[in-house]
Amino acid sequence: MSRPRRLRRATRTLTILGGVTLAVFGVLALFGSALAPFDAGERAGRPFLEPSRDHLLGTDDIGHDILSELIGGARVSLLIGLAAAAIAVVGGGLLGAVAGYRRGAVDAVLMRTVDYALVVPTIPLLIVLASYLERGMRSQILVVAVLLWAEPARIVRSQVLSLRERTHVLAARTFGAGAPYLIRRHVVPAVAPLLIAQFVRVVSVAILFEVALSFVGLGDPVRRSWGSMIQFATDRGAFLTGAWKWWIVPPGLCVAAVVCSFAFVGLGLEERFDRRLARGAQG
Amino acid sequence: MATDRLGDRHQAAGPILEVTDLRVTYDAGATPVQALRGVTLCVGTGDAVGVVGESGSGKTTLALSTLRLLPGEAAISGSVRLGGQELVGAPAEVVRRHRGRTAAYVLQAPGRGFNPVRTIGSQIAEPMRLHLDVSKPDARDRTARLARLVELDPDLLESYAHELSGGERQRAMLAMALACDPPLLILDEPTSGLDSTTKAAIAETLGRLRQEQGLALLVISHDFSLMADLTDDLAVLYGGVVVEQGPTRTVLTDPRHPYSRDLLGAYPSMTTQKDLRGIRGSAPDPADPPTGCPYHPRCTQAIDECATWAPELSPVAGRRIACLRGGVLTRLAAKNLTKSYRTGLRRTVDALRGVSLEVREGEVVGIVGETGSGKSTLVRLLVGVDEADAGTVEWEGRTLATFEKAEWADFRRRVAIVFQDPFEAVSPLLSVAEVVREPLDVQHIGSGSDRAQQVAAALAGVGLPPTDAFRSRRAHDLSGGQLQRVAIARALVLGPRLLLADEPTSMLDASEQAKLLVMLKDEQLARGMAMIVVSHDLALVRKVADRLVVLHAGEVVETGPGAEVIAAPSHPVTRALVKAAATLGTR
Ligand code: SF4
Repeated sequence: MSRPRRLRRATRTLTILGGVTLAVFGVLALFGSALAPFDAGERAGRPFLEPSRDHLLGTDDIGHDILSELIGGARVSLLIGLAAAAIAVVGGGLLGAVAGYRRGAVDAVLMRTVDYALVVPTIPLLIVLASYLERGMRSQILVVAVLLWAEPARIVRSQVLSLRERTHVLAARTFGAGAPYLIRRHVVPAVAPLLIAQFVRVVSVAILFEVALSFVGLGDPVRRSWGSMIQFATDRGAFLTGAWKWWIVPPGLCVAAVVCSFAFVGLGLEERFDRRLARGAQG
Repeated sequence: MATDRLGDRHQAAGPILEVTDLRVTYDAGATPVQALRGVTLCVGTGDAVGVVGESGSGKTTLALSTLRLLPGEAAISGSVRLGGQELVGAPAEVVRRHRGRTAAYVLQAPGRGFNPVRTIGSQIAEPMRLHLDVSKPDARDRTARLARLVELDPDLLESYAHELSGGERQRAMLAMALACDPPLLILDEPTSGLDSTTKAAIAETLGRLRQEQGLALLVISHDFSLMADLTDDLAVLYGGVVVEQGPTRTVLTDPRHPYSRDLLGAYPSMTTQKDLRGIRGSAPDPADPPTGCPYHPRCTQAIDECATWAPELSPVAGRRIACLRGGVLTRLAAKNLTKSYRTGLRRTVDALRGVSLEVREGEVVGIVGETGSGKSTLVRLLVGVDEADAGTVEWEGRTLATFEKAEWADFRRRVAIVFQDPFEAVSPLLSVAEVVREPLDVQHIGSGSDRAQQVAAALAGVGLPPTDAFRSRRAHDLSGGQLQRVAIARALVLGPRLLLADEPTSMLDASEQAKLLVMLKDEQLARGMAMIVVSHDLALVRKVADRLVVLHAGEVVETGPGAEVIAAPSHPVTRALVKAAATLGTR
């Protein structure tokens, strides 16, 4: 009894920690331009300045204030992560629902595609896609979504498959419920918690992928995300000078913090959902 | 024994009694009472015709009108021809001439017909002295012969009425009625007030008289078993009109008018294992008879027209009935259902192989079979959530497969199902109120507050508290028995005409099982709906089912009235089921 309880308490702590961190980054993303000392696009000082009172994280090769860039990056990174995850989860979820509902050939085709999507190695695919697509936020969102839709699709499909065989759904059909009602009243409420947990997970992976994408050159040249900051810094030889300590580490840490926080929150949600499921099952 | 005829009686050509469109109104009180509203009936030579009905149906008025014995305030119209003579409008002495000679009336309540201070024998002799002009010794001789004929001890002829038992008095009454050798006896409740052995003996005597003497009988009674014993033809009287008329066997074994069916259902019989059931509603007030079909206020399958159109007798399945809907409706009919499932690439399993069955309005059909007999598949086909490979399911004569959208919606409202496991059949995410309200939501019935009211009523109907606290509980937090009741409330909330209960009690403990079954049966009776109970447990099903269908390996191996199937199972599978049920003992 005590081990699971201790585990649960640890999960709770992590979830709260993740939530608080996300809240902080959320505020930065929303009100960053007001909080940042400089405009991220403005030449705030000489290039390659080391950290000082005026520029807490120094300046980059053009003279942008790195701290301001970092704060601006929060918005871009989070936006890409959330958008990509939303597309992946909603799109994948819909495909999964269709596969599970229609069954038969539709299901077979969709699910084989999912299988391939799950086993194709990510990084090579990223590189291939990067060479075909234009640089920019839209491409990034699209690519990340394409990489991540399969898992939600698989989960939703199996849920819908089992739901449609559940007696309470059959019961609803016997008093005349059609597909729209069943989806609204029985499928969505049952799948929603799962999807939300999935969404949170996918966001964290999406943010990570964004870094990778920027690194292979798909980053938006104008609106800098944390990923493109790291890529730029590496290009400008930050690792050769000491500049990596304030130019690469901070965005790296931010990415790590956000990714971990999303993962923690996702863990907490899943745990809660599992408990609810267990309660439902034992009646 | 005495096979001697009592002499050559005067035989008229054609039927002895012919009643045509007889209407009788008593005009005594403030409002005239319409006792008979157009009755047509015919008794031929040697026929035995029964008229069955509850008190107030007009059956005694009918009996009395045949000899014009009605009180003065009765206005009579139509025609009563007795031995070829029209009695309606005939002079009193013509009528009197026929009394006792063409037809004799055997009074209800034996004993009241006798004078307490004269011997039985002299009273039996009286009519022949009056009508036949026989001498006293002849009369005594004849009386003794009559006594023997009705199996009355001739020594008793010297006794007084109060010295005789009920059965003996009834026999004396018979002898008196037979005194002038009439070709027709009119028997009004001939066995009422007698114990069952005496009743049987009298019935036997009457049957013998009919055979040996070629007597025709008109039997008026509410007693179905007497009718079965005595009559060949039966008319069912309700609200002063004949609602069903045909061969007694046909009517009694397979009544087709909703009233006859309900009346038979209310009749305690040795061959039913079920509880006595009353007919909902009350008999019509003859002072203010219902318009249209007299049964429409109590009929569970009435349509709007029933209140305005009076149905006429017309032939249905070997008898005539007066019903606008052609008699008791066949709600659901399955014809030759075949269904197989794929279990592997090439293998298929035949779940059903040509199953046919029928469920009529107000009837409870038990489908019994072991696991794997195809029960669940059949249920899915019957409620239209699955399609058969071959064969059809019909709802009130229309094939499900050809249903339009509106017809489906209607079907869904009228056919409800209760599943085996309530925890499976009810979503874990919903509250009690949400569960019960779901059908109303789906069918868009009523406003929010209407729905809340209906939910409360439905919960109260299944014996659950309709309180707010209970309604907002999460359904899965209830006990199995309570949740099954919630599921039943959900099934009943739309007022279905057919309820399918698929192993409704198998997840419950024995006492809950019994309670739930009683409740289901009560609901079925109160609503007059049809019900199908599917189970592996014959002991349980026979408690509620009128008819049993035994399913084995996807085929119907036996079907018939519940009691018959259990008393004399013809198929080995049924026998095994009966045996298994019997060994369960306590249930
Ligand atoms: S269906 Fe109509 S006509 Fe037939 S018995 Fe019922 S009320 Fe009368």
